[in-house]
Amino acid sequence: MEFLAFASFAVLVVGWIVAPSHSMPAATTELDKAA
Amino acid sequence: MDKINSGDTAWLLASAALVMLMTPALGFFYGGLVRRKNVLATIMHSFFILCLISVQWVLWGYSLAFGPDINGIIGGLDWVALRGVGQEPGPYGATVPHEAYMVFQMMFAVITPALITGAFAERKRFKAFVVFTLLWATLVYDPVAHWVWGGGWLGKLGALDFAGGTVVHITSGVSALVAALVLGRRVGFGREPMDPHDATMTVLGASLLWFGWFGFNAGSAITSGGLAANAFVVTNTAAAMAALTWMTVSWLHKGAPSVLGAAAGAVAGLVAITPASGYVDVSASILIGLGAGTFCYLGIQVTKRLRVDDALDVFGVHGVGGAWGALATGVFATVAVNSGAADGLVYGNPAQLGIQAIAVLASITYSAVMTFVILKVINLFVGLRVGEHEEVLGLDASQHRETAYV
Repeated sequence: MEFLAFASFAVLVVGWIVAPSHSMPAATTELDKAA
Repeated sequence: MDKINSGDTAWLLASAALVMLMTPALGFFYGGLVRRKNVLATIMHSFFILCLISVQWVLWGYSLAFGPDINGIIGGLDWVALRGVGQEPGPYGATVPHEAYMVFQMMFAVITPALITGAFAERKRFKAFVVFTLLWATLVYDPVAHWVWGGGWLGKLGALDFAGGTVVHITSGVSALVAALVLGRRVGFGREPMDPHDATMTVLGASLLWFGWFGFNAGSAITSGGLAANAFVVTNTAAAMAALTWMTVSWLHKGAPSVLGAAAGAVAGLVAITPASGYVDVSASILIGLGAGTFCYLGIQVTKRLRVDDALDVFGVHGVGGAWGALATGVFATVAVNSGAADGLVYGNPAQLGIQAIAVLASITYSAVMTFVILKVINLFVGLRVGEHEEVLGLDASQHRETAYV
């Protein structure tokens, strides 16, 4: 049980590392380009 | 003669106050999620239920739920208007006044129908909501509470539900889904934006729900000792883990770590740990939180894919989270935490998981059928939905003749 608890938390940490860093909505990005 | 313990009594009364706070907190949680033209009406749902069920409970609700058992189905009318429910201990707590136990349970009866209101937000006629709440509390909540906690057939079968996974969350979550289907979609659903008008209000509401949930779960120990402390710790851990999980899953799925997602995830974790909080250890609470954040998020994606207008995702959070928590109790329960309960699957007792599944199926079936019947009957006499013009105008103006923001 303890191993599974540590493993599940580790999965989340990995998720934060691989999650996208840039998440500007497309519309805003287009506005930025236009500007 | 039982002796009243001042520590137990103080904790139970404080817990009742904590749980009371959860219903207005729910009003803010839901209020932030609706459009600004419906915020007052949404908050009113919770505030009105706090008043309505407080009176219903002392007049007949408590007696139906916890009164002397009649064939495992319902409590008798012996305690109507709290006759015989006084300052001495009753059958449910040897060290606390019967009245203290009654008022603690009252707050559970209050918040349960309030949870459903998120499904029919922004379109239900106020009069229909009033009648529905009174009938639902009497015909659904009170019997199921009796089945599990009042000496009824599920309790006798050995179903474990420490603080309301079946009684509170499955009944409300399933009823919410039925209500969403019976009422139909909001005008403009899927064609126009229906974004939350105040996410800060929702996060504040979720935070206050989390705070109150310590009374909900740790108070359900009915004593102020180690069992309450365990429930407190696993409640906080599961909420945190589910919030982290939901935020992470939504981040990977939609590209951004959602603030509202973290708030909804915390609530999902609180829901899932509710039935288990008096039976599982902290490692299990991490796994329950992980499951809550994942399954509830997926549940909401499915209802959205099916174009069911469960406006504030009550089924996904409370129905799915409650069922997961009830089943997880059958998996992770251990007598090392609660010597008066039973072991679960991982501790060598697979039968407990079967009992939990029976409790889940029974509460789903009963609440779905009864909610459908109640809504159909009300629709015949009152009409469930406001007119299209009233809906477009907003319920604050059309139902209450008031405006939240000027």
